[in-house]
Amino acid sequence: MKLGTTLGRLAARGFDTALAVVERARQAHRHPPRRARLERFGAILQLTVPRALVFVDRAFARRVLAIQSESENGNGVVRPAIWAGVETALGDAPLSAPLEAHLQLTNRCDAGCQGCYTGASPDGAPNEWGLAEWTRAIDHLAEAGVFHVALGGGESAVLPWLGELADHARRRGIVPNLTTSGLAGLDRLVAICDRFGQINVSLDGLGPTYARVRGFDGFARADAAIRALRAVKREVGINVVVTRQNFDELDGLFAYAAQRRLSEIELLRFKPSGRGARAYGELRCSDAQHRAFLPAILAAAKRHAVRVKVDCSYTPMLAHHRPDRALLAELAVYGCTGGDFLVGAKPGGQLTACSFAAPPPPPAPGADRPRVTELRSYWDAPGAFGAFRTWSNAREPCASCAYHALCRGGCKVVSAHAAGDPSAPDPECPRVVDHRAADPTHRVHLPVV
Amino acid sequence: MRRGRILAIKWGMNPNSSSLGVDVTFLLVGATVLAAVTPMIGALLRWRRRVPVDTPSATTDPAPPA
Repeated sequence: MKLGTTLGRLAARGFDTALAVVERARQAHRHPPRRARLERFGAILQLTVPRALVFVDRAFARRVLAIQSESENGNGVVRPAIWAGVETALGDAPLSAPLEAHLQLTNRCDAGCQGCYTGASPDGAPNEWGLAEWTRAIDHLAEAGVFHVALGGGESAVLPWLGELADHARRRGIVPNLTTSGLAGLDRLVAICDRFGQINVSLDGLGPTYARVRGFDGFARADAAIRALRAVKREVGINVVVTRQNFDELDGLFAYAAQRRLSEIELLRFKPSGRGARAYGELRCSDAQHRAFLPAILAAAKRHAVRVKVDCSYTPMLAHHRPDRALLAELAVYGCTGGDFLVGAKPGGQLTACSFAAPPPPPAPGADRPRVTELRSYWDAPGAFGAFRTWSNAREPCASCAYHALCRGGCKVVSAHAAGDPSAPDPECPRVVDHRAADPTHRVHLPVV
Repeated sequence: MRRGRILAIKWGMNPNSSSLGVDVTFLLVGATVLAAVTPMIGALLRWRRRVPVDTPSATTDPAPPA
């Protein structure tokens, strides 16, 4: 690419960033977001400019937070209850509450994508919550100390009360973010998009590739939605579920993001959940694609000057390239953090470790499954979130992997589907693939004819 | 008093309602750039007005040695 083009692109990006900062500062002035939360290791601090959650130790937290009170008079220093024990390392124990909650506001959606991880349908799920229930859920999440919510579906843009809920989250110090297909509810969404921190539109391919991945031709509508949202909001990006069909088009998707001046591209691994369980064999990436993933996306990000995010399930594919572990830790790159950094909630409010996972079983026979409004009591319950919290009891090849404390054994939803056990090593991890290939007990024996 | 340190920085927001996204753009530039950015974030945090946090059930420790 010519130097002039690159410089022009960087200049445009700088201009967009500057204007986005102004918008963000205005929004933070109207509704200040939660700025800090204490943790066993110290605290989590939120910055609006630049947007970041900063994890600090106790000594740093003492310097920047007003936690010392009137009893600091030479005789004693007030110590919060959460700091009563030994100072832990980040990641050693679950956080005191999730950083973010993924709220599936509805399972209604007309699109019918073949790989939909929620199995969304025009009728939605039975007993879906409405505005009153989700408003209460936001209150509970705010009291627990949650920083962000990611709202999704189904297609939540069709909900007439979406803007009201986003406003409520802002009032409670939580930043609402949104994923949409862009296929429905666009006019309403454009009118309320300033209430969200970041909006990403799902775009799994360009032109005909979109249809190959999703099962119908929706590219033109999704592209129109991206342009409409980008015309009125700067922090708009795309979510791309990476599949066997669109892997070779990743560079083109980065080029598209640059051309539309989008703020980011987020790459998601295909999960065998909902209708995706049936399409998993056809759509999931090959082992060779998984091994080529990191160099391919970094090259594309550099070529097109686009910010790139990857989802938690890609950590095994990052670790395959042996990046600096300290750097990954400093970037808070973790594998499965379901039931720890994040939780999910189904359309009826059922709490889950992540959006792909089934809700935990009821605490007692005949009782209901825990709801997101019971997060605080469930969070510290014995056995809460099952295998999502017991990742440190790993078997080989995870147990001896230098990245295990970060990766946590990969995606438990993939393991549950492919191995029938969520605590099994992620079968798509290149290290696990190699380990099994070298282990005769895992070899597939073809029948002798 | 010990200055303390930044343990990790999670950049950006996660709009994705199905999994946790992390910004890996820094892997392009490596640890050197992050090592330069981290002190700036630290300075920004120290510079902003001290944030009050809830300490609902605080316990009192002996004062640290001077």
